[in-house]
Amino acid sequence: MEFLTPFKIAFSLLFSADPELMAIIRLSMTISLSAVACSLLVGLPIGAILASMKFPGRQAIIILSNTLLSMPPVVVGLIIYILVSQSGPLGWTGILYTPYAMALAQTVLVLPISIALSRQVFETLNTEYNPLFMSLGIGRWQRIKTLVFDARIALVTIALACFGRAISEVGAVIMVGGNIRHVSRVMTTTIALETSKGELGIAMALGIVLLTIALLVNVASQFISAHFKKAGLDV
Amino acid sequence: MSDMASQNTAMVTARNVSFSADDQLLLNDISVRIASGNITMVLGHNGAGKTLLLSALHGLISPQRGTIIGPARQKQKMVFQKPILLRRSAREYFEFLCPGLDDSTVQNWFQKAQLGPRMTTPARQLSGGESQKLALIGALASQPDLLFLDEPTAHLDFESIGFIESQITAARKTGTTIVMTSHNRAQAERLAEHVIFMENGRIVEMACANTFFSSPQTQAAKTYLKHY
Repeated sequence: MEFLTPFKIAFSLLFSADPELMAIIRLSMTISLSAVACSLLVGLPIGAILASMKFPGRQAIIILSNTLLSMPPVVVGLIIYILVSQSGPLGWTGILYTPYAMALAQTVLVLPISIALSRQVFETLNTEYNPLFMSLGIGRWQRIKTLVFDARIALVTIALACFGRAISEVGAVIMVGGNIRHVSRVMTTTIALETSKGELGIAMALGIVLLTIALLVNVASQFISAHFKKAGLDV
Repeated sequence: MSDMASQNTAMVTARNVSFSADDQLLLNDISVRIASGNITMVLGHNGAGKTLLLSALHGLISPQRGTIIGPARQKQKMVFQKPILLRRSAREYFEFLCPGLDDSTVQNWFQKAQLGPRMTTPARQLSGGESQKLALIGALASQPDLLFLDEPTAHLDFESIGFIESQITAARKTGTTIVMTSHNRAQAERLAEHVIFMENGRIVEMACANTFFSSPQTQAAKTYLKHY
């Protein structure tokens, strides 16, 4: 095969908006965005609580969430697989080899990122705001509300970081999704499969899409940081 | 309430307060009684413990020894030397400091401080003088019984200093007790009714402002005033 052939096929698939290719991209985006939303929904309050409250076991939770940051994706895949397999405690849900299991795996993978990054942001803000909170007699929940509101810009960049991690995940999602055509095939798993089959065109097309997404995420993150730093709203 | 009567009432009282950090005694056996309705100026060199005394009286730090009795948290406010500005507009910040005011009252305070055109500006983009004025009106708008001001005019221009001093005087006239620190002798003489002079975490001298500035009793205060 000529070196440039995969690129030619890739661009032809992209420009013709190949239905199967588009379906794969749509499913990838849906799963990853859902995972990011879930991880932020759970992670941000945990980050805010860890940053602004002292309670027994706080340090243990911080150590655990930091440890989970470096957990190999295949281990996450294995754990989710055991949990949702027929004989597992969540087997009754019947979500194994469905996009739900894939979203769950991605959520578990990016949750530590959202906790760790948001905790850092909230901790910085809390240290800065603490004398004012104390002076005004601000209660625990209003404190958390204030921290979340004032960290809103940083939280957008955290969401982008989580999305970047989720969309590029392959190991865990292939284990719990099964890479089933028209059901659980996403960009990364398709690239792995098509490459193994020697079908480099579609793999390359999806590679280009993934790279473009990564580029857009970084550009958005840089733009948001720079714009809001200028406006004095950065953390 | 007459001046005489108000002077007989203590707004905040500290008894044998000591505070240390990192094995350093930063407040040493402080006993002080702040009279209601007066302006009390805390003076002393850098590191004398002025800000720490204000923080202790306001309840921001918990001394290891001694007791402090003052009004409820909602009745007292503190303006920091460098205002702690939230990441939101000047108006939103003001409303955070003093919630529950109607729109016209908020507008009035901003007009009074000549900050009207800056209401939608992010608070952190205001100049030093503007942010100090914003923090002060945010504290005054709630009409506190007790107001702590930690060097409220440090590094500000004459216009901002003039506004802040006029607001301090106005607040005192409406019965707010003010405890403040300043490194500006002229300002201290203009505003203070009582002076607390501190050195190395101790109160060295307490007196009426006139007495303190005209005939200080301790050598430390005399030396300080010579260079002040």
